[in-house]
Amino acid sequence: MEPRLVTLKVNGRTHHAALAPNTTLLHALRDLGYTDVKSGCEKGDCGACTVLVNNTPLNACLMLAWLAEGQEIVTVAGLGNAEHPHPLQQAFVDFGAAQCGYCTPGMILAAKALLDEHPHPTDDEMREALSGNLCRCTGYVRIIEAIQNAANELDAEQRG
Amino acid sequence: MRDFELLQPKNLADALDALAQNNASVHPLAGGTDMLVDIRAQRAQPDVLVALQNVNELRGVTRTNGHLRVGASTTIAEFLKNPLLTEHDALRQAASVFANPLIRNSATIAGNIGSASPAGDMLPPLLAFDAQIELVSKNGTRTMPLNEFFLGPRKTARNANELISNLQLPISNLQTASAFYKLGLRQADAISLVSVAVWLQRDSDMIRDVRIALGAVAPRPMRATRAEEILHGQIFNETNVKEAARVASEECAPIDDLRASANYRRRMVNVYVRRMLEQAWRNF
Repeated sequence: MEPRLVTLKVNGRTHHAALAPNTTLLHALRDLGYTDVKSGCEKGDCGACTVLVNNTPLNACLMLAWLAEGQEIVTVAGLGNAEHPHPLQQAFVDFGAAQCGYCTPGMILAAKALLDEHPHPTDDEMREALSGNLCRCTGYVRIIEAIQNAANELDAEQRG
Repeated sequence: MRDFELLQPKNLADALDALAQNNASVHPLAGGTDMLVDIRAQRAQPDVLVALQNVNELRGVTRTNGHLRVGASTTIAEFLKNPLLTEHDALRQAASVFANPLIRNSATIAGNIGSASPAGDMLPPLLAFDAQIELVSKNGTRTMPLNEFFLGPRKTARNANELISNLQLPISNLQTASAFYKLGLRQADAISLVSVAVWLQRDSDMIRDVRIALGAVAPRPMRATRAEEILHGQIFNETNVKEAARVASEECAPIDDLRASANYRRRMVNVYVRRMLEQAWRNF
Protein backbone atom coordinates (compact mmCIF):
# COMPACT_ATOMS: atom_id res chain seq x y z
CA MET A 1 0.00 0.00 0.00
CA GLU A 2 1.02 3.62 -0.55
CA PRO A 3 3.27 5.20 2.05
CA ARG A 4 2.01 8.37 3.69
CA LEU A 5 3.97 11.27 5.14
CA VAL A 6 3.66 10.87 8.91
CA THR A 7 4.75 13.36 11.56
CA LEU A 8 6.30 11.74 14.61
CA LYS A 9 7.34 13.64 17.74
CA VAL A 10 10.24 11.77 19.34
CA ASN A 11 12.16 13.00 22.38
CA GLY A 12 10.94 16.53 21.66
CA ARG A 13 12.03 16.50 17.99
CA THR A 14 9.63 16.47 15.06
CA HIS A 15 10.24 14.06 12.17
CA HIS A 16 8.46 13.66 8.85
CA ALA A 17 8.75 10.17 7.41
CA ALA A 18 7.09 8.40 4.47
CA LEU A 19 5.72 5.21 6.02
CA ALA A 20 3.68 2.30 4.70
CA PRO A 21 0.54 1.50 6.73
CA ASN A 22 1.99 -1.79 7.96
CA THR A 23 5.11 -0.15 9.46
CA THR A 24 5.21 -0.57 13.22
CA LEU A 25 6.30 2.27 15.47
CA LEU A 26 9.28 0.07 16.39
CA HIS A 27 10.69 -0.04 12.87
CA ALA A 28 9.74 3.56 12.08
CA LEU A 29 11.78 4.69 15.12
CA ARG A 30 14.76 2.48 14.32
CA ASP A 31 14.79 3.70 10.70
CA LEU A 32 14.82 7.29 11.99
CA GLY A 33 17.98 6.43 13.95
CA TYR A 34 16.42 5.65 17.34
CA THR A 35 18.26 2.34 17.61
CA ASP A 36 17.99 2.57 21.41
CA VAL A 37 14.54 1.03 20.81
CA LYS A 38 15.31 -2.69 20.49
CA SER A 39 13.57 -5.32 18.41
CA GLY A 40 13.09 -8.54 20.36
CA CYS A 41 10.19 -10.98 20.06
CA GLU A 42 7.82 -8.67 18.11
CA LYS A 43 4.93 -10.37 19.94
CA GLY A 44 4.61 -8.22 23.05
CA ASP A 45 6.28 -10.77 25.31
CA CYS A 46 9.76 -9.31 25.88
CA GLY A 47 9.38 -5.52 26.25
CA ALA A 48 12.69 -4.71 24.48
CA CYS A 49 10.81 -2.25 22.23
CA THR A 50 9.16 -0.35 25.11
CA VAL A 51 8.61 3.37 24.47
CA LEU A 52 6.57 5.98 26.30
CA VAL A 53 3.60 7.27 24.30
CA ASN A 54 2.07 10.27 26.13
CA ASN A 55 3.92 9.01 29.25
CA THR A 56 2.40 5.51 29.01
CA PRO A 57 4.79 2.58 28.42
CA LEU A 58 3.79 0.49 25.39
CA ASN A 59 5.26 -2.15 23.11
CA ALA A 60 6.30 -0.26 19.95
CA CYS A 61 6.17 -3.56 18.02
CA LEU A 62 2.38 -3.72 18.54
CA MET A 63 1.58 -0.16 17.47
CA LEU A 64 1.30 0.92 13.86
CA ALA A 65 3.37 4.06 13.21
CA TRP A 66 0.46 5.89 11.56
CA LEU A 67 -1.45 5.64 14.84
CA ALA A 68 1.40 7.30 16.77
CA GLU A 69 1.12 10.50 14.74
CA GLY A 70 0.90 13.62 16.87
CA GLN A 71 1.60 11.78 20.13
CA GLU A 72 4.59 12.44 22.39
CA ILE A 73 7.00 9.54 22.01
CA VAL A 74 9.94 9.13 24.40
CA THR A 75 12.73 6.59 23.99
CA VAL A 76 15.41 5.91 26.59
CA ALA A 77 17.71 8.40 24.83
CA GLY A 78 15.10 11.06 25.58
CA LEU A 79 15.57 10.67 29.34
CA GLY A 80 19.22 11.71 29.39
CA ASN A 81 22.63 11.17 27.81
CA ALA A 82 26.15 10.20 28.89
CA GLU A 83 26.90 13.76 30.08
CA HIS A 84 23.55 14.28 31.78
CA PRO A 85 22.10 10.87 32.63
CA HIS A 86 18.68 10.44 34.23
CA PRO A 87 19.02 9.06 37.79
CA LEU A 88 17.62 5.73 36.54
CA GLN A 89 20.28 5.55 33.82
CA GLN A 90 23.02 6.41 36.33
CA ALA A 91 21.72 3.84 38.81
CA PHE A 92 21.67 1.08 36.16
CA VAL A 93 25.39 1.86 35.56
CA ASP A 94 26.28 2.14 39.24
CA PHE A 95 24.54 -1.08 40.26
CA GLY A 96 25.66 -3.18 37.29
CA ALA A 97 22.03 -3.63 36.26
CA ALA A 98 22.97 -4.14 32.60
CA GLN A 99 24.89 -7.08 31.21
CA CYS A 100 24.29 -7.49 27.48
CA GLY A 101 22.17 -4.33 27.59
CA TYR A 102 19.47 -5.40 25.17
CA CYS A 103 16.59 -5.19 27.67
CA THR A 104 17.96 -2.07 29.39
CA PRO A 105 16.15 0.66 27.38
CA GLY A 106 12.80 -1.06 27.97
CA MET A 107 13.56 -1.72 31.64
CA ILE A 108 14.47 1.92 32.27
CA LEU A 109 11.35 3.25 30.50
CA ALA A 110 9.04 0.83 32.34
CA ALA A 111 10.74 1.91 35.58
CA LYS A 112 10.37 5.60 34.64
CA ALA A 113 6.62 5.14 34.14
CA LEU A 114 6.39 3.36 37.51
CA LEU A 115 8.28 6.08 39.40
CA ASP A 116 6.17 8.82 37.77
CA GLU A 117 3.09 7.16 39.28
CA HIS A 118 4.58 5.64 42.47
CA PRO A 119 7.69 7.58 43.60
CA HIS A 120 8.25 5.08 46.44
CA PRO A 121 7.45 1.65 45.00
CA THR A 122 7.64 -1.57 47.00
CA ASP A 123 9.64 -4.53 45.68
CA ASP A 124 6.38 -6.16 44.59
CA GLU A 125 5.27 -3.04 42.73
CA MET A 126 8.63 -2.89 40.93
CA ARG A 127 8.50 -6.55 39.94
CA GLU A 128 4.92 -6.15 38.75
CA ALA A 129 5.75 -3.00 36.73
CA LEU A 130 8.68 -4.79 35.03
CA SER A 131 6.83 -8.05 34.42
CA GLY A 132 6.45 -7.23 30.71
CA ASN A 133 10.21 -6.74 30.33
CA LEU A 134 12.41 -9.81 30.09
CA CYS A 135 16.11 -9.91 30.99
CA ARG A 136 17.98 -13.14 30.24
CA CYS A 137 21.32 -12.08 31.78
CA THR A 138 21.24 -10.52 35.22
CA GLY A 139 18.36 -12.18 37.02
CA TYR A 140 16.63 -8.89 37.89
CA VAL A 141 18.08 -8.43 41.40
CA ARG A 142 20.41 -5.61 40.40
CA ILE A 143 17.72 -4.05 38.24
CA ILE A 144 15.43 -3.83 41.27
CA GLU A 145 18.27 -2.42 43.38
CA ALA A 146 19.01 0.20 40.72
CA ILE A 147 15.39 1.33 40.55
CA GLN A 148 15.11 1.51 44.34
CA ASN A 149 18.25 3.63 44.43
CA ALA A 150 17.08 5.89 41.62
CA ALA A 151 13.79 6.38 43.48
CA ASN A 152 15.76 7.55 46.54
CA GLU A 153 17.93 9.78 44.34
CA LEU A 154 14.91 11.39 42.68
CA ASP A 155 13.35 11.90 46.09
CA ALA A 156 16.49 13.61 47.38
CA GLU A 157 16.59 15.83 44.26
CA GLN A 158 13.02 16.91 44.85
CA ARG A 159 13.64 17.73 48.48
CA GLY A 160 16.63 19.79 47.27
CA MET B 1 4.32 -7.95 7.73
CA ARG B 2 1.43 -8.51 5.31
CA ASP B 3 0.43 -5.50 3.23
CA PHE B 4 -2.89 -3.91 4.22
CA GLU B 5 -4.80 -0.70 3.90
CA LEU B 6 -5.22 1.27 7.16
CA LEU B 7 -8.27 3.49 7.60
CA GLN B 8 -8.50 5.99 10.45
CA PRO B 9 -12.15 7.07 10.76
CA LYS B 10 -12.77 10.12 12.96
CA ASN B 11 -16.15 9.01 14.31
CA LEU B 12 -18.48 6.03 14.64
CA ALA B 13 -20.48 6.78 11.47
CA ASP B 14 -17.31 6.83 9.35
CA ALA B 15 -16.04 3.63 11.01
CA LEU B 16 -19.31 1.83 10.24
CA ASP B 17 -19.21 3.11 6.64
CA ALA B 18 -15.69 1.73 6.28
CA LEU B 19 -16.79 -1.68 7.57
CA ALA B 20 -19.91 -1.73 5.37
CA GLN B 21 -18.18 -0.71 2.15
CA ASN B 22 -15.50 -3.34 2.28
CA ASN B 23 -15.61 -7.11 1.88
CA ALA B 24 -15.10 -9.77 4.55
CA SER B 25 -11.34 -9.19 4.80
CA VAL B 26 -11.90 -5.87 6.56
CA HIS B 27 -11.31 -5.97 10.30
CA PRO B 28 -11.51 -3.46 13.15
CA LEU B 29 -8.24 -2.63 14.91
CA ALA B 30 -8.34 -1.62 18.58
CA GLY B 31 -5.23 -2.02 20.77
CA GLY B 32 -3.55 -4.26 18.19
CA THR B 33 -1.98 -6.54 20.79
CA ASP B 34 -3.69 -9.62 19.30
CA MET B 35 -4.25 -8.42 15.73
CA LEU B 36 -0.66 -7.48 14.87
CA VAL B 37 0.65 -10.72 16.38
CA ASP B 38 -1.98 -12.68 14.43
CA ILE B 39 -1.07 -10.92 11.17
CA ARG B 40 2.62 -11.69 11.65
CA ALA B 41 1.75 -15.34 12.36
CA GLN B 42 -0.62 -15.33 9.34
CA ARG B 43 -3.56 -16.34 11.53
CA ALA B 44 -5.25 -13.10 10.43
CA GLN B 45 -5.07 -11.92 6.82
CA PRO B 46 -6.97 -8.63 6.60
CA ASP B 47 -6.81 -6.49 3.47
CA VAL B 48 -8.19 -3.48 5.32
CA LEU B 49 -7.84 -2.52 8.98
CA VAL B 50 -10.19 0.07 10.45
CA ALA B 51 -8.38 1.74 13.36
CA LEU B 52 -10.79 2.74 16.15
CA GLN B 53 -8.33 5.01 17.99
CA ASN B 54 -10.19 8.25 17.10
CA VAL B 55 -13.74 6.93 17.53
CA ASN B 56 -14.75 8.68 20.75
CA GLU B 57 -18.21 7.07 20.79
CA LEU B 58 -16.51 3.80 21.85
CA ARG B 59 -14.87 5.32 24.92
CA GLY B 60 -15.97 5.90 28.48
CA VAL B 61 -17.41 4.11 31.47
CA THR B 62 -20.72 5.30 32.90
CA ARG B 63 -23.20 4.12 35.49
CA THR B 64 -26.85 4.69 34.66
CA ASN B 65 -30.13 3.26 35.95
CA GLY B 66 -28.94 -0.08 37.22
CA HIS B 67 -26.29 -0.68 34.57
CA LEU B 68 -22.57 -0.19 34.25
CA ARG B 69 -21.85 0.72 30.63
CA VAL B 70 -18.28 -0.03 29.54
CA GLY B 71 -17.16 1.45 26.21
CA ALA B 72 -15.54 -0.95 23.75
CA SER B 73 -12.22 0.93 23.71
CA THR B 74 -11.76 0.76 27.50
CA THR B 75 -8.23 -0.54 28.05
CA ILE B 76 -7.46 -3.36 30.46
CA ALA B 77 -5.30 -0.88 32.43
CA GLU B 78 -8.44 1.21 33.08
CA PHE B 79 -10.00 -1.77 34.90
CA LEU B 80 -7.24 -1.26 37.50
CA LYS B 81 -7.73 2.52 37.82
CA ASN B 82 -11.32 3.63 37.26
CA PRO B 83 -13.28 3.35 40.57
CA LEU B 84 -16.47 2.43 38.65
CA LEU B 85 -14.62 -0.68 37.45
CA THR B 86 -12.27 -1.52 40.31
CA GLU B 87 -15.17 -2.04 42.75
CA HIS B 88 -15.99 -5.22 40.80
CA ASP B 89 -13.50 -7.63 42.36
CA ALA B 90 -13.54 -10.37 39.70
CA LEU B 91 -12.99 -7.88 36.87
CA ARG B 92 -10.17 -6.14 38.73
CA GLN B 93 -8.51 -9.43 39.65
CA ALA B 94 -8.64 -10.60 36.01
CA ALA B 95 -7.22 -7.30 34.74
CA SER B 96 -4.38 -7.50 37.27
CA VAL B 97 -3.13 -10.81 35.79
CA PHE B 98 -3.93 -9.96 32.15
CA ALA B 99 -0.76 -10.46 30.03
CA ASN B 100 1.65 -7.82 31.36
CA PRO B 101 1.46 -4.10 32.23
CA LEU B 102 2.66 -2.94 28.79
CA ILE B 103 0.01 -5.00 26.99
CA ARG B 104 -2.66 -3.83 29.45
CA ASN B 105 -1.96 -0.21 28.44
CA SER B 106 -2.90 -0.98 24.81
CA ALA B 107 -5.29 -3.94 24.88
CA THR B 108 -9.02 -3.16 25.02
CA ILE B 109 -11.98 -5.01 26.47
CA ALA B 110 -13.65 -5.31 23.04
CA GLY B 111 -10.42 -6.68 21.62
CA ASN B 112 -10.29 -9.41 24.25
CA ILE B 113 -13.93 -10.28 23.53
CA GLY B 114 -13.57 -10.06 19.74
CA SER B 115 -10.52 -12.33 19.75
CA ALA B 116 -12.74 -14.91 21.50
CA SER B 117 -9.94 -17.05 22.82
CA PRO B 118 -11.34 -19.75 25.12
CA ALA B 119 -8.61 -18.57 27.53
CA GLY B 120 -9.36 -14.81 27.26
CA ASP B 121 -8.77 -13.47 30.77
CA MET B 122 -11.61 -10.93 30.96
CA LEU B 123 -14.28 -13.27 29.60
CA PRO B 124 -15.17 -15.42 32.66
CA PRO B 125 -15.65 -12.38 34.94
CA LEU B 126 -17.82 -10.68 32.30
CA LEU B 127 -19.95 -13.85 32.07
CA ALA B 128 -20.14 -14.00 35.86
CA PHE B 129 -21.44 -10.41 35.87
CA ASP B 130 -24.01 -11.42 33.21
CA ALA B 131 -22.75 -8.82 30.73
CA GLN B 132 -24.78 -7.89 27.67
CA ILE B 133 -22.87 -6.98 24.54
CA GLU B 134 -24.01 -4.25 22.16
CA LEU B 135 -23.16 -4.54 18.46
CA VAL B 136 -23.62 -1.65 16.08
CA SER B 137 -23.67 -1.46 12.28
CA LYS B 138 -25.07 0.88 9.64
CA ASN B 139 -28.30 -1.14 9.85
CA GLY B 140 -28.77 -0.50 13.56
CA THR B 141 -27.93 -1.77 17.01
CA ARG B 142 -28.51 -5.15 18.62
CA THR B 143 -27.81 -6.41 22.10
CA MET B 144 -27.32 -10.00 23.24
CA PRO B 145 -26.10 -11.83 26.33
CA LEU B 146 -22.31 -12.11 26.10
CA ASN B 147 -22.76 -15.83 26.82
CA GLU B 148 -24.41 -16.20 23.39
CA PHE B 149 -21.74 -14.16 21.59
CA PHE B 150 -19.01 -16.81 21.70
CA LEU B 151 -19.62 -19.56 19.15
CA GLY B 152 -16.32 -21.45 19.42
CA PRO B 153 -12.56 -20.91 19.50
CA ARG B 154 -12.05 -17.46 17.88
CA LYS B 155 -15.60 -17.54 16.47
CA THR B 156 -18.21 -14.98 17.49
CA ALA B 157 -21.67 -13.78 16.48
CA ARG B 158 -20.20 -10.48 15.20
CA ASN B 159 -20.89 -9.84 11.52
CA ALA B 160 -18.07 -8.34 9.46
CA ASN B 161 -19.91 -5.01 9.18
CA GLU B 162 -20.50 -4.76 12.94
CA LEU B 163 -18.51 -3.20 15.76
CA ILE B 164 -18.67 -4.07 19.43
CA SER B 165 -19.82 -0.74 20.86
CA ASN B 166 -20.12 -1.41 24.58
CA LEU B 167 -20.88 -3.85 27.39
CA GLN B 168 -23.64 -3.47 29.91
CA LEU B 169 -23.38 -5.04 33.33
CA PRO B 170 -26.48 -5.12 35.55
CA ILE B 171 -25.70 -3.57 38.94
CA SER B 172 -27.69 -4.91 41.84
CA ASN B 173 -28.66 -2.87 44.88
CA LEU B 174 -28.52 -6.06 46.92
CA GLN B 175 -25.38 -7.46 48.54
CA THR B 176 -23.15 -9.03 45.88
CA ALA B 177 -19.56 -10.28 45.84
CA SER B 178 -17.28 -11.77 43.21
CA ALA B 179 -13.89 -13.43 42.83
CA PHE B 180 -11.58 -14.53 40.00
CA TYR B 181 -8.53 -16.74 39.75
CA LYS B 182 -6.28 -17.58 36.82
CA LEU B 183 -4.06 -20.62 37.02
CA GLY B 184 -1.05 -20.20 34.72
CA LEU B 185 2.43 -21.65 34.39
CA ARG B 186 4.05 -18.37 35.47
CA GLN B 187 3.02 -15.14 37.17
CA ALA B 188 3.16 -12.69 34.25
CA ASP B 189 2.39 -13.16 30.57
CA ALA B 190 0.73 -16.52 31.19
CA ILE B 191 -2.00 -18.10 29.10
CA SER B 192 -4.43 -19.58 31.61
CA LEU B 193 -4.66 -23.33 32.10
CA VAL B 194 -7.93 -22.77 33.94
CA SER B 195 -9.67 -19.61 35.04
CA VAL B 196 -12.68 -19.31 37.32
CA ALA B 197 -14.97 -16.36 38.06
CA VAL B 198 -17.85 -16.45 40.53
CA TRP B 199 -20.53 -13.93 41.43
CA LEU B 200 -22.79 -14.28 44.46
CA GLN B 201 -25.82 -12.53 45.83
CA ARG B 202 -26.41 -13.13 49.50
CA ASP B 203 -29.52 -13.25 51.66
CA SER B 204 -28.36 -13.82 55.27
CA ASP B 205 -26.76 -17.31 55.17
CA MET B 206 -28.45 -18.20 51.88
CA ILE B 207 -27.19 -17.88 48.33
CA ARG B 208 -29.91 -15.82 46.70
CA ASP B 209 -28.29 -15.93 43.24
CA VAL B 210 -25.04 -17.26 41.83
CA ARG B 211 -23.10 -17.31 38.58
CA ILE B 212 -19.99 -19.41 37.91
CA ALA B 213 -17.94 -18.95 34.72
CA LEU B 214 -14.98 -20.98 33.50
CA GLY B 215 -12.18 -20.17 31.05
CA ALA B 216 -9.80 -22.39 29.05
CA VAL B 217 -11.77 -25.60 29.76
CA ALA B 218 -14.17 -25.64 26.79
CA PRO B 219 -14.21 -24.40 23.17
CA ARG B 220 -15.52 -21.10 24.52
CA PRO B 221 -15.73 -19.40 27.89
CA MET B 222 -18.70 -21.04 29.63
CA ARG B 223 -21.16 -20.76 32.48
CA ALA B 224 -21.24 -23.77 34.81
CA THR B 225 -25.04 -23.73 34.99
CA ARG B 226 -25.51 -27.14 36.63
CA ALA B 227 -23.14 -26.14 39.41
CA GLU B 228 -25.06 -22.87 39.79
CA GLU B 229 -28.35 -24.81 40.18
CA ILE B 230 -26.93 -26.74 43.12
CA LEU B 231 -26.26 -23.52 45.02
CA HIS B 232 -29.24 -21.44 43.94
CA GLY B 233 -31.43 -20.60 46.96
CA GLN B 234 -29.42 -22.93 49.21
CA ILE B 235 -27.49 -22.40 52.42
CA PHE B 236 -23.82 -21.52 51.90
CA ASN B 237 -22.05 -24.45 53.58
CA GLU B 238 -19.16 -26.80 52.91
CA THR B 239 -21.32 -29.63 51.56
CA ASN B 240 -23.09 -27.47 48.97
CA VAL B 241 -19.92 -25.69 47.90
CA LYS B 242 -18.02 -28.96 47.45
CA GLU B 243 -20.85 -30.49 45.47
CA ALA B 244 -21.09 -27.44 43.17
CA ALA B 245 -17.33 -27.52 42.57
CA ARG B 246 -17.48 -31.23 41.75
CA VAL B 247 -20.35 -30.73 39.29
CA ALA B 248 -18.53 -27.79 37.64
CA SER B 249 -15.50 -30.02 37.06
CA GLU B 250 -17.83 -32.55 35.39
CA GLU B 251 -19.70 -30.15 33.13
CA CYS B 252 -16.62 -28.48 31.67
CA ALA B 253 -15.01 -29.96 28.55
CA PRO B 254 -11.24 -29.42 28.69
CA ILE B 255 -8.66 -30.75 26.22
CA ASP B 256 -5.10 -32.03 26.54
CA ASP B 257 -2.60 -29.57 25.13
CA LEU B 258 1.02 -28.57 25.65
CA ARG B 259 0.17 -26.54 28.75
CA ALA B 260 -1.85 -29.10 30.73
CA SER B 261 -3.84 -32.31 30.50
CA ALA B 262 -7.61 -32.36 30.42
CA ASN B 263 -7.61 -34.39 33.64
CA TYR B 264 -5.49 -31.81 35.48
CA ARG B 265 -7.71 -28.99 34.23
CA ARG B 266 -10.83 -30.78 35.51
CA ARG B 267 -9.28 -31.26 38.94
CA MET B 268 -8.22 -27.62 39.06
CA VAL B 269 -11.77 -26.50 38.15
CA ASN B 270 -12.93 -28.46 41.19
CA VAL B 271 -10.32 -26.80 43.43
CA TYR B 272 -10.73 -23.23 42.18
CA VAL B 273 -14.52 -23.15 41.96
CA ARG B 274 -14.56 -24.12 45.64
CA ARG B 275 -11.89 -21.57 46.57
CA MET B 276 -13.49 -18.73 44.60
CA LEU B 277 -16.93 -19.41 46.14
CA GLU B 278 -15.30 -19.29 49.59
CA GLN B 279 -13.34 -16.14 48.72
CA ALA B 280 -16.38 -14.31 47.36
CA TRP B 281 -18.42 -15.29 50.44
CA ARG B 282 -15.68 -13.93 52.71
CA ASN B 283 -15.91 -10.61 50.84
CA PHE B 284 -19.47 -9.95 52.05
